[in-house]
Amino acid sequence: MKGIRLAFKIINTLTKDSFHYPNRLYANMLILVSRLGVLLALYWYVFKLNGGIINGVTFIVVAWSMFFYFSFSNFNLRRISRLIMEDVQSGNVEVFLCKPISYLSYKIWWTFGLGFYNFIFIGFLGFIILALVISVPASMTIGLFIPTLILELILATILTFIIYSIVGLLAFWIEDVNPVFWINDKFVMILGGSYLPVALFPDYLYKIAIYSPFGASMFVSHIVYDSWKVDWLKLMGIQIFWIITLGIFLIWLFKKARGKVSVNGG
Amino acid sequence: MMKEIKFALYAIKKNIQSSRELRTSFLMNVIGMAINNIAFVFLWVYFVKSVGVIGGWTTYDIIGLNGFTALSYGIIVSIFMGTKKIPEYVTTGSFDRFMLSPKNLILRVATSAFSPSAIGDAIFGIICLSVYGFLIHITIVQIIFVVLLIIFGAIIFFSMSLIINGLSFYFVDASSFTDSVFQLFMTPTLFHGGAFHGVTRFIFTFIIPSLLIAAIPTETVKNLSFHNLIYIGVGSFIWLYIAIRLFKNSVRRYESSNFMTFGN
Repeated sequence: MKGIRLAFKIINTLTKDSFHYPNRLYANMLILVSRLGVLLALYWYVFKLNGGIINGVTFIVVAWSMFFYFSFSNFNLRRISRLIMEDVQSGNVEVFLCKPISYLSYKIWWTFGLGFYNFIFIGFLGFIILALVISVPASMTIGLFIPTLILELILATILTFIIYSIVGLLAFWIEDVNPVFWINDKFVMILGGSYLPVALFPDYLYKIAIYSPFGASMFVSHIVYDSWKVDWLKLMGIQIFWIITLGIFLIWLFKKARGKVSVNGG
Repeated sequence: MMKEIKFALYAIKKNIQSSRELRTSFLMNVIGMAINNIAFVFLWVYFVKSVGVIGGWTTYDIIGLNGFTALSYGIIVSIFMGTKKIPEYVTTGSFDRFMLSPKNLILRVATSAFSPSAIGDAIFGIICLSVYGFLIHITIVQIIFVVLLIIFGAIIFFSMSLIINGLSFYFVDASSFTDSVFQLFMTPTLFHGGAFHGVTRFIFTFIIPSLLIAAIPTETVKNLSFHNLIYIGVGSFIWLYIAIRLFKNSVRRYESSNFMTFGN
């Protein structure tokens, strides 16, 4: 109960903070426009050249798939790696570990709170604009869509936190986790369906995307495909498998990391 | 002028030496970034395989494109990393120390920081361009073209970095804003050049010169277009002139010690 109260307090405080700094919101909007906007313009042209259909999917489906990818990416949950690394490098981690709260869950809620307002606001605005400009595909009008979207966002959030927390905890051993972060991030980018939507993947790459934790953390980009209504249970099962497996590994790694800290006081 | 350049070279040398002190971190950054960049080649190569040849662009051109972008970016961000730190200097008030320096302000700021990971970008760029050269059976004239185009690309990168980060003199808490604007410029430099056409090609050539970094240079080398080479060369110096003018005007808005710590 205490943990939940703390989580709400953190999210509430950081959301209020985001209200007071609208510049950051505009900046995030600009990032989304710069990546997704340009990409959609390119894909629109490419689909036009190919008669409107590539690999059995239309431009609208691909556009929404990329929209979900980039909107979720805009949540910026991955920054947890760098937050942990900064704590380790600055020595602040000592202070956090001495407090009667779980360091990892504190960092997770903090990261969640930092991106929550941006994600909701920009995601909602982008959703409306995209729906008005290119309309929505039939796959988004079925009854299953909203409940599975919510469920998928929850699972994707948990898995993303786990993956990037593992990267962040490596700072206890290697201090500068940036190179690991970049490589991990690119795996998520490729297998998540960012610049190249999963529908355009060759067969073997599609399988890697589905069965690897990197691709699984971005299943939200699969949600608009027709295959979703058949595959959603299987895909969420894979996500739950990775959440449990990597979750156990994260707890083990955190215990090891705690053992490496020497608090000097003073 | 020579004195200023000598000082800039000395600052760059010291920055590199300082980064090399943390050897493991330095090497990990360099190697990590080089591996990281492979993702973009991978993505766009599969894009070409999925959607076919667009605008005459093949997988070879994608490798060339990544080479041009990574090398120009690597050169500028490694040795002139200071331009990317301008928002931080302005916010914390530490820009004071550059204003008080008797050296050329732009050179002093630009060479104030160094990024080891950008060395990884540069190495990756060299590898990509070497592979590209091998694949297209590059001629001597084309090699000269590549060298000139990298210089022009680096000048444009530097100019845009100066213009965009110089915006921090106009806004409070500008680092996230300047980062976003830089993304707007940077993102198309990594995109498949053949997919830009009509309005998008015009915008990203003349208004935001992203395509001048890699997409148009790749086409220039491929088609041996002297016309394009001259155009990019002239364009790069125009952007440099604009950047210097804008930066000098922007600096006038700086208020000394505008943070409670009075600089650091």
